[in-house]
Amino acid sequence: MSWRIRVSHTTRYEYAAPVTQSYNEVRLTPRGDRRQNVVVSRVETAPATRSYRYTDYWGTVVTSFDLHAPHTELSVVGSSVVETSGEVEPVREASWADLRSEEVADRFTEYLGWTGYVPNDRELAAQARQLRRGLTPAEAVLAASRFVHEQMTYKQGTTSVHSSASDAWQAKEGVCQDYAHMTLALLRAIGIPARYVSGYLHTRPEGALKETVRGESHAWIEAWTGGWWAYDPTNAIPVGNRHIWVAVGRDYADVVPFKGIYTGGAGAGLTVSVELTRLA
Amino acid sequence: MTRTARTGSSSNGRVPGALFKGYLDPRRPHAGAYDEMFAEDASVRSPYRTLHEALAPSAASDLAARADALGRAFVDQGITFSLSGQERPFPLDLVPRVIAASEWAKLERGIVQRVRALEAFLADVYGDAEIIRDGVLPRRLITSCAHFHREAAGILPPNGVRIHVAGIDLVRDEAGVFRVLEDNLRCPSGVSYVMENRRTMARVFPDLFAQHRVRAVGDYAVHLLRALRNSAASNVADPTVVVLTPGVHNSAYFEHSLLARQMGVELVEGRDLFCRDHTIYLRTTEGERQVDVIYRRIDDDYLDPVHFRPDSVLGVAGLLNAARAGNVVIANAVGNGVGDDKLVYTYLPEIVQYYLGEKPLLPNVDTYRCWLPDERAHVLDHLAELVVKPVEGSGGYGIVFGPDASAKELAALRRKVRAHPRGWIAQPVVQLSTVPTKVGDRLSPRHVDLRPFAVNDGNFVFVLPGGLTRVALPEGSLVVNSSQGGGSKDTWVLASRSSTVDSELSGPGLVGTRVMTGTATEQGPELTAAQQQQQQQQRGA
Repeated sequence: MSWRIRVSHTTRYEYAAPVTQSYNEVRLTPRGDRRQNVVVSRVETAPATRSYRYTDYWGTVVTSFDLHAPHTELSVVGSSVVETSGEVEPVREASWADLRSEEVADRFTEYLGWTGYVPNDRELAAQARQLRRGLTPAEAVLAASRFVHEQMTYKQGTTSVHSSASDAWQAKEGVCQDYAHMTLALLRAIGIPARYVSGYLHTRPEGALKETVRGESHAWIEAWTGGWWAYDPTNAIPVGNRHIWVAVGRDYADVVPFKGIYTGGAGAGLTVSVELTRLA
Repeated sequence: MTRTARTGSSSNGRVPGALFKGYLDPRRPHAGAYDEMFAEDASVRSPYRTLHEALAPSAASDLAARADALGRAFVDQGITFSLSGQERPFPLDLVPRVIAASEWAKLERGIVQRVRALEAFLADVYGDAEIIRDGVLPRRLITSCAHFHREAAGILPPNGVRIHVAGIDLVRDEAGVFRVLEDNLRCPSGVSYVMENRRTMARVFPDLFAQHRVRAVGDYAVHLLRALRNSAASNVADPTVVVLTPGVHNSAYFEHSLLARQMGVELVEGRDLFCRDHTIYLRTTEGERQVDVIYRRIDDDYLDPVHFRPDSVLGVAGLLNAARAGNVVIANAVGNGVGDDKLVYTYLPEIVQYYLGEKPLLPNVDTYRCWLPDERAHVLDHLAELVVKPVEGSGGYGIVFGPDASAKELAALRRKVRAHPRGWIAQPVVQLSTVPTKVGDRLSPRHVDLRPFAVNDGNFVFVLPGGLTRVALPEGSLVVNSSQGGGSKDTWVLASRSSTVDSELSGPGLVGTRVMTGTATEQGPELTAAQQQQQQQQRGA
């Protein structure tokens, strides 16, 4: 059973005074894989720019553009139509001994190491060791995700885009980014390679056709237990039709959707909206 | 026929051989080191014979006068380096270092091999990483390197060259074998000293150059310009090359301006350039001019605020993506630091074997890798006998000489190595070779290293004959870095009798080093090595 979804992700910046130079990179183009087919995708800016598109180290499609005419407003729209497939099943092939092997440890070294957003947190590591007791690696991934879901309260404003897994753990509140980082911290502490996934979530489980819903930028995780598979710790649900993925990386820093520098007036306003429509 | 350095051998009635008095004192520090002028039996090694004959009879006062002339020449030209923030002249010793033709031929082959292997390595690491997939190197080695820039993945230079200029640091061990101490693939500096040392020496010692066939170094800029022009995208008929400097406050500014002047190209700072639609332009009084090749002397971290340090004002916003789009070439390429990482260095034999199917012609210095548990254990057990170096360090900072360190320093080092094993390597104390060096009114053995410069133009790798010989001036010191109080020596590569290469001072005029700029700017990228050779020979005739 597959869904066809249209995503429209609009970012609008307003500036107090005209901006004279601006260099930007956006990551708004969904990727294709076995369970996701990108039908069409484009990135448009206003004022119009000549953009350049490339694939970065992590395989993410990046659109780069610069502006030189003075402007007080910049909007960037990423629109795509994507076909998604049903729920992802956990991969149960690897045992703990497999994960401990030198080969796996080296192959996934980047997804086992600590980063700014996913630091080596003593408390989280202790939690993780407790969680994994008696479980297989795949079960441990589910347990860790559910643990984060239970411990955390979904609340915007407590944490910021710069908060790490430790910050979120202390606050016990956060958004999908924090849920994902905390789950990564737990999994890496017990030697399960895990990575950050950014994308979109269609908010209606039933997904009525042609109805446009306000969606959101979303984040979840993928773990390697003999193969990569995804899980959504924020909602404690398997990744399925409603999830559209854009990028993977070690943490949020590798997949930042909008990055740039500019000279000119201070930023006066930022609005982001994501609209999702199930087409079929 | 042997000529011995008998103390007291007289020649013309002046103070006989007093300059070398006590030179081979067995009680000197590191007496086991290889001396490049004297063999153990005090006979003079053959490359140095003519030099020794010329120097030995000189009076100390004569040398002092010449040393003054050298020092003055340097201060006059403003050739300085910054030592802990202070500008000082880089001391040039008046005894040159001599390398025989056959010895140099071996070094040259080894350096070329190394550059070719490292080029292949960088192309692979920023491409498909097959060396990792084939299990030759662990992935960790690459991903844990601070200079592995994921931002550089997928940037393909038009002619495939990433190491336009390499500086390969060599030392000579107790047996006289040249070994590679480290590779410099980012912004190796010092080539201006090579050229300026030669100019100054030629002024002060014209007699010595008349007696030797010393290979010329003055045409370095021709080779550099050819490599830079070759690196431009092939659709560009007449590429615009610029030298990008951090500015006048940089310790190597002198070198940047010298190279720009000799190549006949613009010397620019970041603010002189800008990027529009993934193309780099130079602001000139006549409007914008597109730039095709940037020979940058700015570190990766400051090069492009979009991808690296956002607070950098030295670089050019958008430069990296302009290079990715193929509209400009950055020389040396971004991310080369993964190739000269001191831990990656220890895997060079595997790298040379993997890409070239050859054995390395130049051996490394034996190195223990602290990130491998058994080698780390060995290092921790023998800290007091080893030199321990930070993988990230440069300029000699952070190096601990075990034999000289106090118990407290060793304990601190032990903690640091344990806490961050990837960050450290250890090497046996290599007693670098010694060359006679003027200390007071005498010549004494002082330790030296050698940094030859290699320029890769995509077709062949040119190695400048000689390179920068750095000398540790304090007695017994093995640290040659200019930042640690080192000096330099003119390095003479002797031409073999049969060769036709230009030797220094053979051309018209006193110093034949100023001739290249006029013609060089008009040379198209198609200029080949063979044509280059012809031009030189015509000029010399």
